[in-house]
Amino acid sequence: MIRVEKPAWETMVSHAEKTFPKECCGVMLGSDGVVRQAIPLPNVYTGPQEDFFVMDPLDLHRVDVEGRKAGLDVLGVFHSHPNCDAYFSKRDLENSCSWFSYVVLSIKDGRFDHAASYRPDFDQKEAPKEELIYG
Amino acid sequence: MAKILIPTPLRQYAGKQDSVELAGSTVGDVLNSLTSQYAELRRHLYTDEGKLRSFVNVYVNDDDIRYLDKEATALKDGDTVSIVPSIAGGSAGIAAPPVTLSKEEILRYSRHLIMPEVGMDGQLKLKSAKVALIGTGGLGAPLGMYLAAAGVGRIGLVDFDVVDFTNLQRQVIHGTKDVGRKKLDSAADTMLDINPYVEIDRHEVALSSENALQILKDYDIVVDGTDNFPTRYLVNDACVLLGKPNVYGSIFRFEGQATVFAYEGGPCYRCLYPEPPPPGLVPSCAEGGVLGILPGTIGLIQATETVKLILGIGEPLVGRLLLYDALAMRFRELKLRRNPECPVCGDHPTIRELIDYQEFCGIPNQVHEPVAVEGDIDPVEVKAKIDRGDPFVLIDVREPHEYQICRIPHAKLIPLGDLPKRVNELNSADEIVAHCKSGMRSAKAVEFLKQAGFRKVANMKGGILAWSDKVDPSVPKY
Repeated sequence: MIRVEKPAWETMVSHAEKTFPKECCGVMLGSDGVVRQAIPLPNVYTGPQEDFFVMDPLDLHRVDVEGRKAGLDVLGVFHSHPNCDAYFSKRDLENSCSWFSYVVLSIKDGRFDHAASYRPDFDQKEAPKEELIYG
Repeated sequence: MAKILIPTPLRQYAGKQDSVELAGSTVGDVLNSLTSQYAELRRHLYTDEGKLRSFVNVYVNDDDIRYLDKEATALKDGDTVSIVPSIAGGSAGIAAPPVTLSKEEILRYSRHLIMPEVGMDGQLKLKSAKVALIGTGGLGAPLGMYLAAAGVGRIGLVDFDVVDFTNLQRQVIHGTKDVGRKKLDSAADTMLDINPYVEIDRHEVALSSENALQILKDYDIVVDGTDNFPTRYLVNDACVLLGKPNVYGSIFRFEGQATVFAYEGGPCYRCLYPEPPPPGLVPSCAEGGVLGILPGTIGLIQATETVKLILGIGEPLVGRLLLYDALAMRFRELKLRRNPECPVCGDHPTIRELIDYQEFCGIPNQVHEPVAVEGDIDPVEVKAKIDRGDPFVLIDVREPHEYQICRIPHAKLIPLGDLPKRVNELNSADEIVAHCKSGMRSAKAVEFLKQAGFRKVANMKGGILAWSDKVDPSVPKY
């Protein structure tokens, strides 16, 4: 289960809506399974960003280091699916990392529609849904 | 000594430390000693074959080792090694494959594909669409068949009923061979026979306040093919709460109505009818009858509107109530507006969740199993009275055209509507038993007679249908 506090959730939704129709991404910081802060990061994918995102590992590294200083852990990452449901796609799975919760936000016509969170396995074969509580 | 920063999720496998100091001359060395010291870390970083997992990036200070000497990258004293996962992904993928048409489908839909208003884009929209169809009866039959034929990709059917002979005069999705089968199965078979390229979800439930949101949330459009007020209000409210259009149709005898409710900015069913009629005032098709072709006409208007909404073409039937009179063969339109005071779709809604619709419509929950009331008499007892030659008067309060279908010998026909002016034909000293088709109208007749001062009146329970079941099977049911 992952819980996202309201200010963090609002950051994620507004970042996803602003980035529409492209995919956005970012990191979720917190402690004890509760996300207290969301950090939007640039999508550095060089191809069409409407259906793909790549996070710069250095960005993630910096957020991790800064988070440590503030006593916050990286609990997971988030990204958006523009005009698409919040499922965990094959491409999500192929690029997944088993360490994190993956929150996917479905943005339809520029507005938040629904969201889901997944925990991919080591082998990038499956990503079971986990309970997501937000707001 | 090099310092290895442990990523947050992995600290639990590294003695909860956020960094570990290790000796080693290369990156490979320190990672090896790290994972021998903390065995559980190993499977998070390495595959079973002993390779770093594809998503694992290793940085020495701020440099990616892929651009240095990979795992052989040399380390100096005081270097910091960071383990950072690659994070990427995207919506396109097999979990929801891009919708395309096969060669067979292209052939099947060719009359759509050659129209620019539909074309490949439109046909793919149809294939991607998810439509919930409430009821597979009179309206649901043409709806299900044509929506499947048109290539609506996913159709959710909601019904819990079984096909019976009285359905076949209009519910053309079911055949004589299907009598006794679940309507869901019979309808799905017909639809899949017409078009095996559609998916059909079978929801074998009575739609209720408990399950409606859960069932309907997965669909884009809801089509109401039901025939009772509680379900209409339920479907309406669920659609408004979920923000999904409700393609509405209703039929009675020779007349029908259709419109699209709960469409952005448009009115909902409650804007048109804020309150349900008193129970029993508006007869159902089972009570009042319906021209078998009528649901075909109205259901196809609903199907047309559904397809238009999916394609996003034309002028949707929003804010207009289409009225159809089959006898006059005339269509009329009434303008409808969203009511800002509407309790569910208005500016300040008071209904924010589903309510008890049976109660709202004034219907006791046990409507199908009427409890025995004083003055009820069983058809078997009536037959015994006739056989014994007991003095009593049996009145049939149905309509003359029903009397022509079947009758109980010796019953005197006084249609319910004529009872007040013909009450003088009855003697209050006589014992009187009233009957109709199923016992509803005769209950009203008994009530009327009691108020008119008759004391010895009884209602034959279950009407002539029960008579056919219990007394004389040669009496046809209708």
